[in-house]
Amino acid sequence: MPKRKDPDRPGEPTEAPIGRLSRRGFLKGAGLTMAAVGVQGPEAIGLGSSQDMEMLGTDPIDITLSINGTRRKVSVEPRTTLLDLLRDQLEMTGSKRVCNRATCGACTVLVDGRSTNACTFLAIDGLGAEIRTIEGLAGPDGSLSPIQDAFVRHDATQCGFCTPGMIMSCTALVSKNPHPTRDEIKAGLSGNICRCGTYQNIFEAVEDATRQGGAQR
Amino acid sequence: MSDRKDDVRIKVGFEGHIKEIEVTLPKGDILPYQPGDKLAIVGKPLDRVDAVAKVTGKAKYSYDRHPKGMIYGRILRSPHANARIKSVDLSGALAMKGVHAAISFPDEMGSSEVRFAGQEVAAVAAETEALAEEALNRIQVDYEVRPFAVTKEAAMEKGAPEVVPGRANVVTSGRRRRESAEEFEKRLQDQKEKVDEALKDCAVTVHRTFETQVQVHCSLEPHGSVMQWDGDHLICYASTQATFNCRREAQSSRGAIRAGSAEVTTEYMGGGFGSKFGLGREGAAGAILAKKAGRPVRLMLERRGEQTAVGNRPDSKQEMTLGVTKDGKFKALRAYSWGTAGPSPFGAGARNHVFYGFENIDKVEHMVRTNCGQARAMRAPAWPQGVFAMESIIDEAAAKLGMDPVEIRKKNDTHPIRIHEYDMGAERIGWKKRRNKKPGAGRGPVKRGLGCASTEWFASGGGGSACLVRIHKDGTVEVRNGAQDIGTGTRTVMGMVVAEELGLPLEKVQTFIGHTTDPLGPGSGGSTTIGSLSPAARLAGYRAKEELLQIVAERHGWKVEDLDLKGGRVVSKKGKRLDPDLSFSQACAMIQEGAVEVTARRPIVSRRRPNYQGFAPTNSGVQFAEVEVDTETGNVKVTRLVAVQDCGKVINAKTAESQVRGGVIQGVSYALLERRIMDRHKGQMLNADMEMYKIAGPADIPQIDVVLVDVYNGQSNTGVMGLGEPPKVATAAAISNAVFNAIGVHITSLPITPKKVLEALARKEEK
Repeated sequence: MPKRKDPDRPGEPTEAPIGRLSRRGFLKGAGLTMAAVGVQGPEAIGLGSSQDMEMLGTDPIDITLSINGTRRKVSVEPRTTLLDLLRDQLEMTGSKRVCNRATCGACTVLVDGRSTNACTFLAIDGLGAEIRTIEGLAGPDGSLSPIQDAFVRHDATQCGFCTPGMIMSCTALVSKNPHPTRDEIKAGLSGNICRCGTYQNIFEAVEDATRQGGAQR
Repeated sequence: MSDRKDDVRIKVGFEGHIKEIEVTLPKGDILPYQPGDKLAIVGKPLDRVDAVAKVTGKAKYSYDRHPKGMIYGRILRSPHANARIKSVDLSGALAMKGVHAAISFPDEMGSSEVRFAGQEVAAVAAETEALAEEALNRIQVDYEVRPFAVTKEAAMEKGAPEVVPGRANVVTSGRRRRESAEEFEKRLQDQKEKVDEALKDCAVTVHRTFETQVQVHCSLEPHGSVMQWDGDHLICYASTQATFNCRREAQSSRGAIRAGSAEVTTEYMGGGFGSKFGLGREGAAGAILAKKAGRPVRLMLERRGEQTAVGNRPDSKQEMTLGVTKDGKFKALRAYSWGTAGPSPFGAGARNHVFYGFENIDKVEHMVRTNCGQARAMRAPAWPQGVFAMESIIDEAAAKLGMDPVEIRKKNDTHPIRIHEYDMGAERIGWKKRRNKKPGAGRGPVKRGLGCASTEWFASGGGGSACLVRIHKDGTVEVRNGAQDIGTGTRTVMGMVVAEELGLPLEKVQTFIGHTTDPLGPGSGGSTTIGSLSPAARLAGYRAKEELLQIVAERHGWKVEDLDLKGGRVVSKKGKRLDPDLSFSQACAMIQEGAVEVTARRPIVSRRRPNYQGFAPTNSGVQFAEVEVDTETGNVKVTRLVAVQDCGKVINAKTAESQVRGGVIQGVSYALLERRIMDRHKGQMLNADMEMYKIAGPADIPQIDVVLVDVYNGQSNTGVMGLGEPPKVATAAAISNAVFNAIGVHITSLPITPKKVLEALARKEEK
């Protein structure tokens, strides 16, 4: 798993600020925004005094994110979630919006390899990270990943609305655990809900894909 | 051939039980699939044709549509459960920069009455969702608030508030047309006395009251649509299970939208389960906002609205009395039920008297109004709740008589398929060995039990559907119908029956669905979609083949009746290659006018009876559950479930099995977890989300074994019967009976929670 590069920590490998904002600069701005609406002052959230801060409002800001290996320059309001950015600005609608509060897993993406609910993850928090979505799983020639392929063969889709999230969670699972047992699969998918009832087909698909090994793509 | 009208003899039945019957085929129809037919595609477990689009995220759902210039719609909902809207002031919202339109529901749709908390009051469309949300806060609504009742118990209390002003809260259903209140009363009294009399002769009488909860559809893709106007023409991307209903709604002169013309597109939709038969109030709001704003509007419900306002399965309280003779024959049944479907009473019944042909039935259904979101059809409406009560009380009677639950059912069941399915399922789950002969007899704190329950459905499809098959000169084949795929595999199965007729592999046939510009198709309801569509598709494929072979025959001086298409080639009727040997694409190259194009309508016998006589008028099934009940924590775990199910001719064994598993899983969820909770002080739904409204997750799923019984049912040229609903009917009952077998006491109320299990065990100990 690639290590997350954190520009906030000295000594850690740091990427140059992306777009016109660094992560630190942005956080300060966000703190000020909160103060302006009377929620919480910057002191209260431990960011020091307002004097050394760059003033930034709620207007859209330009950032560059790395999504499926491509650098995408976007302009987002700080409150924009990664999910809304993907779906509404980048036309990457594979990730679905269902509960919009991290209960159902339909919006699952990988952020530096970790399965993440894009509905409750701010787009700006993706700065410096490698984001992978359902659109980025198949090979450049369109060849399906082993998990995707097993989903097709085991009929692990019905209406298909939970499917992208399920596949991303399965992908995260097998990257950590290349040979999961049935119970480990269930635990690995515990953040995903399917309403049509495809679970058993999904379990069988993951078991099939991991039987030979090498399903971690 | 195509004008066959004669009486024909066909074979019907299933393995080991095939018989011949004489039927009159509708004019122009072809023979149904017959036992022994050499089918290359039909019946095979093929991959879904749209699976790749779904696993790559490329499938475009209505929620994913984003026409240029699109803005976002949002709905303001009433916080009050019973109120009159005195005024709605939209000016605050309209004054905001970026807000392009705002409407009030009383103005646009007529009624100022609020019947439940969560009902639509106003809507806005704005540049961003956040802006739209903010605009809702600036709308001023003045309500005249009234007292409310949000449970049927509260609505039935003496002096309860009127749920709908001027209307009684409780309505007894079943009064016939032209029957006076007195005559109705008298009829109910007569049936009561008849059953009282019959019960006197019974060796065993069991009396129990059962309760079931309100279940919410919780489709993952919410209700809603993306609406775009082109002058007076409405282009609508809806999340619906009935594209043509939506178009009708948009064009209706009595509707709220009144489009000059409309087209509806639903290429993919994220679940409906009975709740998405129309555009609804949210669809109308979206269309009106789009018109006012002059911009396309996406209005998809937020999760709270989805859980509250767009449908649910009614609850029930069922007072049951079952009388059985000493040799186990069911003699009499009394079933009085109460249920609530929301402000309108209809649909709150419980189907609990269907399977066993009772001579003496005293059944009365009471529909109770409450100030809750209105129920809609939900996967076998009224059946899971009624069957839970019926099948549970049967097991209690069997225990009293010391009879095996399977044997008592077989003794009373007359369904020609189900009567054999009991043994198939019993063998698969190890019924004889693993069941406790005496309920609750197992040792140790975790007790195992087995239970079974029956199911039935009645959908061979109906008329109205048509399918287009187009064979192009370059050898490509299109199959088109304008209905949607609710997730069952409609696209795949339509393609399969056409590919079979044309002798092609499935991937050579491209199926297009979900556009109302294509031929008419059914709503996905009552498990009728494939029963309605597949005969039309097969007939269109058959006729397209005839046309193509006619062209080939003329070119080569062959007789068309000697020709067939098999294995991608033109062959003789016996399947032999011809001289010259022609491939399908070589045959297509002979088409002069660009394409062979055939639209065929589904042949029907009559409007009242759309199908001809077949093997059985209904399809059936039996489910067996195995559970482990932890008597210390009260936790119930379903460990295994065997579902024996027939659905007429199985077209695709893979998607059919998935359907059954899905029904079972929703049944497990209904049995153990789901429940809408209403706040009786505030009148609002407390768990209108997905964390407190519990749906079965990966950890709750048992090993599910599906035994599909392939039945040559006759009835249509494909003989397919519905499979959406039947697998959901029996599951909760089978689980409840397995719990009874494990611990020796019945949990008479769904969902079977640990608390109810512990309470029941405590009551058992007191005895």
